Amino acid sequence: MESYTYVNIFETKGLENLLVLSFLVMLVFLVRYINRPAKKR
Amino acid sequence: MIANPTAERRPLDMLRFALSELKPRAPFLTPFNVISIPIILVGLVILAIRFTQGLGSVTNLNQEFPWGFWIGFDVVTGVALAGGAYVITFVVYVLKVERYHPIVRVTVLNGFLAYVFYAGGLFLDLGKPWHIINPMIGNSFGYNSVLFLVAWHFVLYMIAELIEFSPAIAEWLGARRMRAFLQSVTVGTVIAGFTISTLHQAGLGALFLMAKGKIHPLWYTEFMPVLFFVSSIFAGISMVIVEGTLSHRVLKDHMDAEHGEFDKLIFGLARGAALSMFAYYFFKALIFIHEHHWNLMGDRWGNLYLLEILGLTLAPCFMFAYGIRNRSLGVVRWAALLAIIGVILNRLNISLIAFNWFSPNHYYPSWQEVWITAMIISCEIWVFRWVVTRMPVLRKATGFD
Repeated sequence: MESYTYVNIFETKGLENLLVLSFLVMLVFLVRYINRPAKKR
Repeated sequence: MIANPTAERRPLDMLRFALSELKPRAPFLTPFNVISIPIILVGLVILAIRFTQGLGSVTNLNQEFPWGFWIGFDVVTGVALAGGAYVITFVVYVLKVERYHPIVRVTVLNGFLAYVFYAGGLFLDLGKPWHIINPMIGNSFGYNSVLFLVAWHFVLYMIAELIEFSPAIAEWLGARRMRAFLQSVTVGTVIAGFTISTLHQAGLGALFLMAKGKIHPLWYTEFMPVLFFVSSIFAGISMVIVEGTLSHRVLKDHMDAEHGEFDKLIFGLARGAALSMFAYYFFKALIFIHEHHWNLMGDRWGNLYLLEILGLTLAPCFMFAYGIRNRSLGVVRWAALLAIIGVILNRLNISLIAFNWFSPNHYYPSWQEVWITAMIISCEIWVFRWVVTRMPVLRKATGFD
């Protein structure tokens, strides 16, 4: 099953950049979410 | 008898004291003993067969599947779950977050015992176990091999963890001068131990780099070392949460007030687990896109992958976050349990389930392999219980600062 597969790194670069950006934005939201206690009902 | 030395004990007194501590203290017929003693006794018989008749007599290993349950679960998974020791010691001794100090000793003890017993698992899996010394003495061993690195790191890290834990042994024995010396080398040992630990956590992932073409493409990636390291952070923290919760219920009588407040630390631990899981999830997503894996979805391998990534990584990550925000210990504990199951599934997928995935033959562990694993876990709990009920692990030693 050993075979060489060529991966074109430029083909997915746009999506990867978007994913990294979304990670950074969502990380900020996650940190804010866990650092702020929920309002008591 | 609890060690309460006010003066340095003489070596002979220490030996006499240590021997007196070997006597059992608690009632013998506890539920754990009733279950674990038969497991250990039958396990000893299986081990005798394994060492006299060979690996093939008790395992389902063969030339196609040379690594089985003992490597996949005991070694590869067990080391990831023991990652709590390097995380907590780094947080306490290097980042100086003192509020986690009460759980340092118990976490280091857990980590040390895990390594000792999992290295034992490795010993059982070698066709010629006496060759285990070869990497240490450089006898016919490839110095550029990842296994060479992992073997040395295992030994060095076990020594580092023993040194980190040894002040507790010195306090128990009443060896004040030895304890003062061991305390003085703790920070240096922690830094060395942390470095070694991160490297061999990644090294275990690097072991599988050679298996390209054997591991299903959804799990094989050249970033496996990074993924193994990052996942060991939240695996270790989750294990600390679960083990701490269990031992604070079972061993409550052996704790002082400071050590009994574990619940207050859980949310801080959960925060670390949630953030590292979140980063891990995005690493996986990046690799998924980069490697064009959309076309691998839809079959049973794709479903298994989604279960691992969405059900047992992203879901517990959000459960941790929800539990922290709403101060719900129950949700955090369930999240920790799911995260542990997720890491176990990930390691088993790489080393067993998705290994030789295209082959018409499949490996399933024999009942003896599972039994020996249960025996190893039982022995580890026996030793852990013995140490915790005698040494100052969950309480401060009287007479020491």
